[in-house]
Parts: sequence; C-alpha cells; structure tokens
Amino acid sequence: MPTNVIMPQMGESVAEGTITKWYKKLGERVDRDEALFEISTDKVDAEIPSPAAGVLTLILVKENETVAVNTVVAVIDGEGAAAVVPAPEEAVVPKPGAAPPAVPPTPSPAAGLSAASAVARPAAFPESAETGELRTSPLVRRIAREHHVDLGQVKGSGLGGRVSKKDILDFIERRSAGGAGAAAPEAPQVTAAPVIFTGPTQVVPMTPMRRQIAEHMVTSKRTSAHVYTVVEAEMTRVVATRERCKEEFERHHGIKLTFTPFFIRACVEAIRELPIINSSVDGTNIIYKRDVNIGIAVALENGLIVPVIKRADEKNFLGIARAVQDLADRARAKRLSVEDVQGGTFTITNPGGFGGLFGLPIIPQPQVAILGVGAIEKRPVVRDDAIAIRHMVYLSISYDHRVIDGAVAEQFMGKIKKILENWDEAVL
Amino acid sequence: MAEAPKYDVVVIGSGPGGYVAAIRSGQLGMKTAIVEKDEKFGGTCLHVGCIPTKSLLLNAEVYDYFKNAKEFGIICKEFSLDWQAILARKSKVVTKLSKGVEFLLKKNHVETVRGFAKLAGPGKISVTDSKGATQEITAKNIVLATGSEARLLPGLEPDGKALLTNKEILSLPEIPKSLVIIGAGAVGVEFASIFHRFGSKVTVLEMLPRAVPLEDEEISAELEKSFRHQGIAIVTQAKIGKVLKTAKGISVEYTVGDGKPQTLEADTCLVAVGRAPNTANLSLEKTRVKLERGFVKVNGYMQTDEPGVYAIGDIVAASPLLAHVASMEGIVAVTHAAGKPGEPINYRQIPNCTYGEPEIGSVGLTERQAREAGHKVKIGKFPFAAVSKAAILGAREGFVKVVSDERYGEILGVHIIGPRATETIAEAVMAMRLEGTVDDIAHTTHAHPTLAEALGEAAHAAVDWAIHI
Repeated sequence: MPTNVIMPQMGESVAEGTITKWYKKLGERVDRDEALFEISTDKVDAEIPSPAAGVLTLILVKENETVAVNTVVAVIDGEGAAAVVPAPEEAVVPKPGAAPPAVPPTPSPAAGLSAASAVARPAAFPESAETGELRTSPLVRRIAREHHVDLGQVKGSGLGGRVSKKDILDFIERRSAGGAGAAAPEAPQVTAAPVIFTGPTQVVPMTPMRRQIAEHMVTSKRTSAHVYTVVEAEMTRVVATRERCKEEFERHHGIKLTFTPFFIRACVEAIRELPIINSSVDGTNIIYKRDVNIGIAVALENGLIVPVIKRADEKNFLGIARAVQDLADRARAKRLSVEDVQGGTFTITNPGGFGGLFGLPIIPQPQVAILGVGAIEKRPVVRDDAIAIRHMVYLSISYDHRVIDGAVAEQFMGKIKKILENWDEAVL
Repeated sequence: MAEAPKYDVVVIGSGPGGYVAAIRSGQLGMKTAIVEKDEKFGGTCLHVGCIPTKSLLLNAEVYDYFKNAKEFGIICKEFSLDWQAILARKSKVVTKLSKGVEFLLKKNHVETVRGFAKLAGPGKISVTDSKGATQEITAKNIVLATGSEARLLPGLEPDGKALLTNKEILSLPEIPKSLVIIGAGAVGVEFASIFHRFGSKVTVLEMLPRAVPLEDEEISAELEKSFRHQGIAIVTQAKIGKVLKTAKGISVEYTVGDGKPQTLEADTCLVAVGRAPNTANLSLEKTRVKLERGFVKVNGYMQTDEPGVYAIGDIVAASPLLAHVASMEGIVAVTHAAGKPGEPINYRQIPNCTYGEPEIGSVGLTERQAREAGHKVKIGKFPFAAVSKAAILGAREGFVKVVSDERYGEILGVHIIGPRATETIAEAVMAMRLEGTVDDIAHTTHAHPTLAEALGEAAHAAVDWAIHI
C-alpha cells in the first residue's frame, strides 16, 4: 500500500511550508519515524519523520519549494512497488479514522463536513504559480475576476475541494445578500463589507498565513460565546519563592526558574476541580478531556506559535519547568515538531509581555477557555487599612458561555488566585 | 438479536449499471453480491442493446466501403452479405464481452446469485431461481438496477416475424426486404441505418415534428437531410393508426397532421417508441420507494426514499436511458453506500450518442434550451466538409456546433453530427466537466488531420473566427 506523505500543519495559523531538505533520495528505503525531510514554515523549522516504512517512490515537491499544508509531497511504497500517483481527493479529504487534522474542525452549529473541509483547504498537488494552491476551473477564474472574488474564500464542493461554477455563484449571491452574517455562510468570510475610503490607499493582499489567522479568529468569535472576567492576584509569595530558589534551581536542574510554571501549575490544579474548563463542544455534546495539555502562546517575529505541554496534570513543578524550557529552546531554534503544537486543551497567553495590564484573548478552537497573564509589577494596595507595596498581576480569562457559566469561571479564577497568593508548593 | 446482514451491498441486475456498481463495490472492500435473472451477465446493453447493434452497424459500414470501393480505387467484382455470418460475429463479440464481465465480477470478489429478485422487507431480498427454488439474502444496501424493456404499441405483442422490438430484430432469419420503423429516436435511427445499408427498404415514422427529437434542432434537420439523401424515407408528425399483421407481413396506418390516413405495407415492423422500466415485480409497493410513472425517484446519490435502497440506470426517473449513465450512477451509488466522498450525478454533462450513419454525439444544452434558460447565446459552428480528415474519409456531411454563453465563454452544449461524432464528443464532455470555456477548447492544440479539429474550429468560431472556412 502506497502511503502519501503530506505537508504537516505546524501551528494554528500556518498555511504553507517550504521543504528545505530531503534526507532521503528517490528509491531509498526509509523506516517509520525516521527523518524524511526538513521543512521551514512561518513559525517553525522541523524535521518531519516518515509516516511509514518503505521505499520513497515519488517526490512531488522539490527542495526549496513552498506548498500548502496537507499537500502530498511524496509517496512511500511499503512493498517497494512502482510509484503510484495518489488520487488527488485522497490527499486532502480527511478520512474517518485517520489522524485528526492539526487544527480540529470547528464545532460550529453548521458543523459536520463543512467545518472539516473548511479546515482542509483544497490543496492536493502543487500547481503552477499562476493558479496557486486552489483548485478551480477556467470558468470560475473568469467569474472571480469579474466579481473581484478571492477564490481562497470560496469553499469548493468538487473532488479535492475544487471550486465549481455553482460554488462561486453561491458565494457571490451570499456576499451580495448581506455579507458574512447572511445565511450562515459555511466558510468564514474575512471581509464583511467592501472598504470604502476616498483617500490614497495601498492594497496589500493578505499572505496565506494572515488569511489563516483571520479565518481562525473570526471562526472562533462566531463559534464561541465569548465572555471575559479579570481578577487581580498578589504575587508576593510567588515572587519570593522564585527569588529564594532561582539560583539553586538553575544550579541543580540547569534551567532558569521563570514565572510560567507557577501559572501552569495553578491552572492544572484549578482545572482538576473544574474539568469543564478542559472540555470541547461537539454539536450538542460536551467532550471532557482526560489529559490536561496546556498550550503556551509564544510570540514570534511574524506571528505566533502555541507549543503544548502534554499531560501537564501528570507532571510536578520541576517536570513542567523542564517542559517549558525544552519547548522554548526548541521554538527559538525552530526545532518544534508537529506533535509539539497539537492537542492543546487549555491555553495560557501572556499579554503582559510588553507591559500590558491585561488582555482579552480569543479562545483557540475547539478549546473553551484561555487565560491571559498580565505584567507582574509592584503596585500600591490596601492591606490592613494601610497602603502597601505588593507584586501584583491581572489575570484575565476568555471563556465560552455555551458551556461555562459566569459562576464557574469566577470559581476557576478564584482558585488560581488562591493558589498563587498562598503558594506553598516546593519548587526545588 | 438479529443476525448481521450477509452482504454490504446486493445489486439486482447485471447490466452496465449493475455490474459496474458491483465491481466498484467490491473494489471499495464491501462484501458484494449481484443477482441476475438471465443466463448471462451484461443486461440489455450487452445482449440486445449497445453492443450487438454497434456490431451490426460496423457490418453495415464495412459493406458500404465495399459498395463504394471504386471511389477508393479498389475494384470489387463480387461481394454479398451473409446474414448468418453477420449474426455469428455479433454473437462472438457479445460472448467475449459477457465473459469479460463475469471475470471482472469474480476478480473483485462479487458473489453471483441466479434468479429473479424481489424485496422482502428491510435489507431482505428473496431470489427465485429458474427451478422455482427461493432463497433469502440479506444486505445493508440494495442497488436496484433492473433496467427496462421496449415499450409496445397497445395490444400488439412482438412475434419475432412481422412485429419486432430491439430484441427480436437481432435474430431475424433473414434481412427483410422492407422495414417500417416506428420511432425516430436513437434505436429507430440506428436500425434504419443498419437495414437500409443491408438493402432493406426502410421507412421511419416519427410522431414528433422531427427525428432524434431530444437533439438540437439543427442536428435533427441535418439527419433528416442525410436520410433522405441516402434514400431512407422519414415521416415526421406521423400519428400511428391501425397496425395489422397481413399475409405478407404487416400493414401500418398513419396520419400526418390533418391529412388522410395512409398505409404502409412491409415485411416487418420495428417498434422503437421508448422504454418501460422493470419495476413492477420488485415488490416496491411494500417499501417507501417512490415511483413516478413506473420510474424510481432518487436523489443525487441515487438513494430512494427507502433507507439502504438505491436505484440506478433505466429505472431512474428523469435519468437518460443510456448505458454509460447507468454505470456512472452505479459508481455514485456504491461510493455513497461505502461512505466515501463523491459527487452527486450531474445529468448536464452526459454524452448522448446515436451510432447511425451519420453519427450524432451531443452534450449539454441545445441552442433552444440555452436561449430558454436565459443565456446570451453565442454559437460556433463548423462543417466537416472543411475538415481534411473528413475529406480523406470521404465524408461530406455534418458539423460541430458549440453553444456557449457570451459572458464568460461558458460551454453550454456541444452538438456533433458526422463521422465518428460519438468519439469526438468525449473531448467536449471533459471540457464541460472541468468547466472549460470556449477559449480553452479553441486554445487546445488539436492534432492534424483529425476529426477533432472540427471541434477546435467550432470553438474558435464561438470566440471570434474559425480558421479553415
């Protein structure tokens, strides 16, 4: 059985990747999980392991070529038989039972197929630069030109996601019927209304990555009922613990003691009491996840990546600190693997990185909550009717009111605040 | 607890719809069986339809070459037809292909069940074999592919001598001296082409105002012109009156418009007035399957209203009665049954082929249909008379007509009449399926000299100007 090797999705908002190196030549044997090729994306560089053992019978994407996520880049044949060009539809249509796509289908009420195919962008074989990664037809391209339609926004109903005449005419009709909100469009539309501005302008098309971010953000806003709450926590004990232990911690374990593991530990403990925070919505079902996989949003030069600490609930403070250090090192060295950025069940972001007091982040689908950690700074606070100087932090949470009610969110935040303010866990 | 169904898919009928469905079902890894009432697999298409008629049409074409041998510089002093040998060759072709179907079914692990099938409750089929023994088989999905039979004139049963359908005409003891064909659809036109060239005096009677009434009007006109030129009498708007068997053969009374009734005497008469679906004996009345004048109603994935029951081919309401349509419907149905991604059937992109002389191949909307649908129509037409390859073949008739929408150059329909039209149409079907424009066909390099060049030229004509005219 020939196995298709696809360009993996590295991170929430990565739409394409460049193959920088093939480790194997055509006709060479490769073992399962052996490094097959190296990719570079907007966010990470990574070695991609082979999905199967066999002979590399077909290389479809050469070194330094950039292709869309989910594009078939090579074929491995288990029996070493002649190369078989994979049917294009097999390459992109997510098969039931196959590995879930990097970004899980948005559990929108419209749900089902449409959401799944909105994620798996039509992109099978690398096509010419002129047509890009989209599968359309000559007729569709003409109609698109006349109606100024960005074909990337049109969901294709044909084989392999091909955009047909009907698809684009439906799209235009929906668009003219009143923009994004009208008739619950299946694919998120980034532009709701044409921008009307009479002064001089410069029109820059979105990069595929920008478009992906835009789509994910808008999809999340439309999917989840976002509600926000902010608490303030005193960090005196945490700061003191860190000051007291940081030198010894680094000496003993060879890693820096940062604030991040403190917040992760607090979240894990709070989730233990309120497992709904660690859930997903699937139609009218709520899916509780046993593992607590905490994603940590890390700003990069041109975007954002969210490496995930898997099973954070099974790790002690040191384990978490090590995992954070390891992911941070690899993110900086662009050595994250696909696995590292998948499977998050709850996310922590850090709007305080540039001094922000607090932020109100958008929930990464299909999670149901995200914690924002503001800047830790000394502030005057009232203690025993006197003004005191304390290390303080604003903690915000964006939660999905479909499944989390205000009281639950407040309890969750109260629990985190309590853990941080009364920090008593040994860190060494 | 009920037992699990024995099969994932059971197909009833092994015509070009049923056997293709069964093969694909097997390929998709489903446990599949096919039920056939006749001795051999292949259905109407293989035994009394497409294959035998096209085989006879080739005999007629070869015979024509002999008749015109002098034009090609070949002197043939003595040649004649051997009707029995013609039928033998036809049977040889049919047998070979029938074995092929059997082999393919076996190769794809399709089990075969002999007998007449009826639905016997949800997921249940009872099959009665020729000895009267009945067995029950169970299936998760059932594909009805029982095909159709020739429609008859009221009160007139075919007798194999004076009154024939497409079945009996294939085993006539000899070539009739005179033949009346009722119906100028594909079947009537093809048999007219065969027997006229074999020497029969052929008259075609058509009730509607034109021959091949489903085709573009210009195609009908060209065919009628060609038939008259060849010496095939064709009468349109002919209302059939009394049809009587006589001592010599048959007499057919007909009236044109308000005219006086006229009577035609002939050795034999072929009834080709359409086909009736074989749905009456399937026990469908006990299911939720909905019928429309005997035809089964389905959705785009060939699902009937009864869960787990699909219908394909000639029995489907609003589906063209063509073998290749049945095959595609079979693929659509079992792909859906397997839960695999697939497209629904699209009847706009199906080639219609009539294999007479001249051949007709068409796809999509006729000019009239396009105008009625509100398109701003742009026509591109090119005659085979200006095509080198047609000149080489000695063909002078026919043309390619491209119907396009002016706005985007969308190809709405392509209509070809002339040499090898049924082959050339394939390119147009593909262009339409891929939503190509007339510019795409015009800018496709067509090999020279070929008949396909006519399509390229017609597309050029639809864009601006053809070159070779």
